[in-house]
Amino acid sequence: MDNGYLALVLNAHMPFVRRTEYPRFLEERWFFEAVSETYLPLLRVFRSMEADSVPFHLTLSISPTLAAMLADKALGERYVEYLDAQLRLAEAEEARLAGDAAFAPLARMYHALYRADKDDFQELYSRDILGAFDYYYKKGRLELMTSGATHAFLPIFRDCREAVTAQVETAIIAHRKAFGKQPSGFWLPQLGWYPGVGEILRSYNLHYTVVTTRGAVLGDPTPRNGSFAPVECPSGLVAFVRDAGATKAVWSESSGYPADPVYRDFYRDIGFDLPTEYLGAYLEDSGQRVFTGFKYWAVTGRTNEKRAYDPVAAAARAAEHAAHFLAERRASASAAGALMDRPPLMVCPFDAELFGHWWLEGPAFLEALFRQADSAGELRMITLSDYLRDHPENQASVPEFSSWGDGGFAEVWLDGSNDWIYRHAGKAVERMSELAERFPDESGLRERILNQAAREVLLSMCSDWALLMRAGKSAGFARRQVEEPISNFQRIYDMLCSNTVSTEWLTRLEKRDNLFPSINYRMFRRKR
Amino acid sequence: MKTDKLDALSLEELYALADKTGLDLPPGLERPFVIEEILDALEDDSEDRREAQGEAGHIDEKKYSGLRMGDFDVDTGLGESIATRYNETMIRAIARDPSWAFAFWDVSDSDLDSLRGEESSAGLFLRVAEIGPAGEPADAHREYFDIPVVDTDLQWYINLPRSGVRFRIDLCARRAGQNGKFRVLARSNEVESPRQSLVSSSPALSSQSYELLALSGVEDLPVEDRSEGNPLRILPSGLAKPGDRAD
Repeated sequence: MDNGYLALVLNAHMPFVRRTEYPRFLEERWFFEAVSETYLPLLRVFRSMEADSVPFHLTLSISPTLAAMLADKALGERYVEYLDAQLRLAEAEEARLAGDAAFAPLARMYHALYRADKDDFQELYSRDILGAFDYYYKKGRLELMTSGATHAFLPIFRDCREAVTAQVETAIIAHRKAFGKQPSGFWLPQLGWYPGVGEILRSYNLHYTVVTTRGAVLGDPTPRNGSFAPVECPSGLVAFVRDAGATKAVWSESSGYPADPVYRDFYRDIGFDLPTEYLGAYLEDSGQRVFTGFKYWAVTGRTNEKRAYDPVAAAARAAEHAAHFLAERRASASAAGALMDRPPLMVCPFDAELFGHWWLEGPAFLEALFRQADSAGELRMITLSDYLRDHPENQASVPEFSSWGDGGFAEVWLDGSNDWIYRHAGKAVERMSELAERFPDESGLRERILNQAAREVLLSMCSDWALLMRAGKSAGFARRQVEEPISNFQRIYDMLCSNTVSTEWLTRLEKRDNLFPSINYRMFRRKR
Repeated sequence: MKTDKLDALSLEELYALADKTGLDLPPGLERPFVIEEILDALEDDSEDRREAQGEAGHIDEKKYSGLRMGDFDVDTGLGESIATRYNETMIRAIARDPSWAFAFWDVSDSDLDSLRGEESSAGLFLRVAEIGPAGEPADAHREYFDIPVVDTDLQWYINLPRSGVRFRIDLCARRAGQNGKFRVLARSNEVESPRQSLVSSSPALSSQSYELLALSGVEDLPVEDRSEGNPLRILPSGLAKPGDRAD
């Protein structure tokens, strides 16, 4: 008899940063780092558990923009170039640190990691990471969800129904293209829920999503099981509820596991510690210091008090933290289970990139968690679809508007730094709907133009740029990532209104913003 | 991008790069001037990226660690500058949280001209009107308040008196000397401010449910009960365990 269920839900997402028209584009490194530090390590964890017949089950959302980049051949080529540069630097580091008892092993560790990345990417997966995830999807180990096409924060667009449906419809089409089947679950970007979005999701034959504890508890009526069971909206969509305790144990920057002194420090990087003359070849022509990924220090303390990273001690701590996490969830399940008529469910949604990119030991933590849960029994690791098969009946309730951002509502995506977006993005959606109504049956060049217009509108809605503007980090870059698609859309709108088309410009834009090849601009037609 | 790299480009290529960088250079400039303009533009652009270096950030921002890498090779893309307004008379509202809504509006040039031409016009204001909970008729006007705005205002954050209610905002022009008469120029969409307390109309919760809510980590959420005058709390707020991220 299971005493409770534990459902890990990871959200793998990157905004669309493909810019292959440039010889080198810095923001593409976000993507490369995520592949090297999170996606490939996660797949290694899956392989390891599969080899040992550990019955792991988890739910993974792969956002449509990330899926588009993972499937992109040009980016795959550039990722190999990135790995070659990392390997050259690793060799230089091994030579520089030869004989250093503390740091030479770390240089060898990074060399081995990047070597493994290249072998896995090139040989094992033939550059097809989506296919690698799909293997576990088809085997029932992974449940793959989709998410908003460009990670739009949907509550802000709740009065532009076509904006929301376009985000959902495009995502489903992209998911089908990548994995060959309809997704059951939809990851709400930033867990941004509002009453009414459930009806839209259900109308696309989606079965479930995840909401915050606060959103669920403020729902109508109040859920009698708190966060320990999902609720079902009138549309039939099931909203799983994030477990607050599990979230804090991992997410908290001050007290969460990743803050443990023994883990590898994220900030200290040779890119900022070593002379630029030494790094010159790596930095190529920019001359600017960059994160290289080579980090040799443990979190320990302040910058000048840090100690050398010890991977063995860190791995042991990851296993201890997994045991602690599991014990806490068992205690929680025991307390909640005594008050419920079914085993309690604890849903733990996290950004996938937390594991590996920010928290180097995160994948080891996950593997230890699965292995310990398997050997201890008591708590059953489950996917959200499997839970619904076991428990198809759930309390009726409609969660309240909520998100996982600071403040719990829309504070992060709507403040003085980023509120200007919505006048323009909203207008672009409105005009896109107008175009779709005016030109419902286009083909050839005009259809290409309209489809590109739809891509640009979706790109303008991306919530990541609003977040970065609010954080004050690279606000200029983030601003351009919104301004450009709005400007491109406006140009297309003007072209269509004046019946003049610059095919050269359009072709260039299609090559650059090449995501969602199966997009259909008609999805912006007003629903009647 | 270093100067020597730019030096290797032809004047035509430099002009193309300047165009991509968003510069609108007059034709016929000498190479050094074009290069200087490009370097200035790229340097300006890279500044804000460098500012982020060394700052601590939230975990969900760290996936974008490349931001901390200053570099001159920035994308200026195909887009050009965007309009600041669309010359239409409109107003739209977005709920931000239980206390605040964001409204943005515009008055078309022609409407503005005609307003200025009317001697009786005494300025613009926003009328924020509560329209009752969902399911009730929207025209069942309840409470409202007005916010004076000037012609150059295009947006405001509006402090809402109550959470959990629907409201809409009218952009209005007051008629001077006509006993408070006004004209509605545009009406916003309906907006619902989110609740911040448990639903009072829920069926009575059992003691087990209260315990489960407490175990869920939301002890400090108030229970809305207007008959009591003040919100009740499930458990004393001292038991709250605020997290680093909202739940």
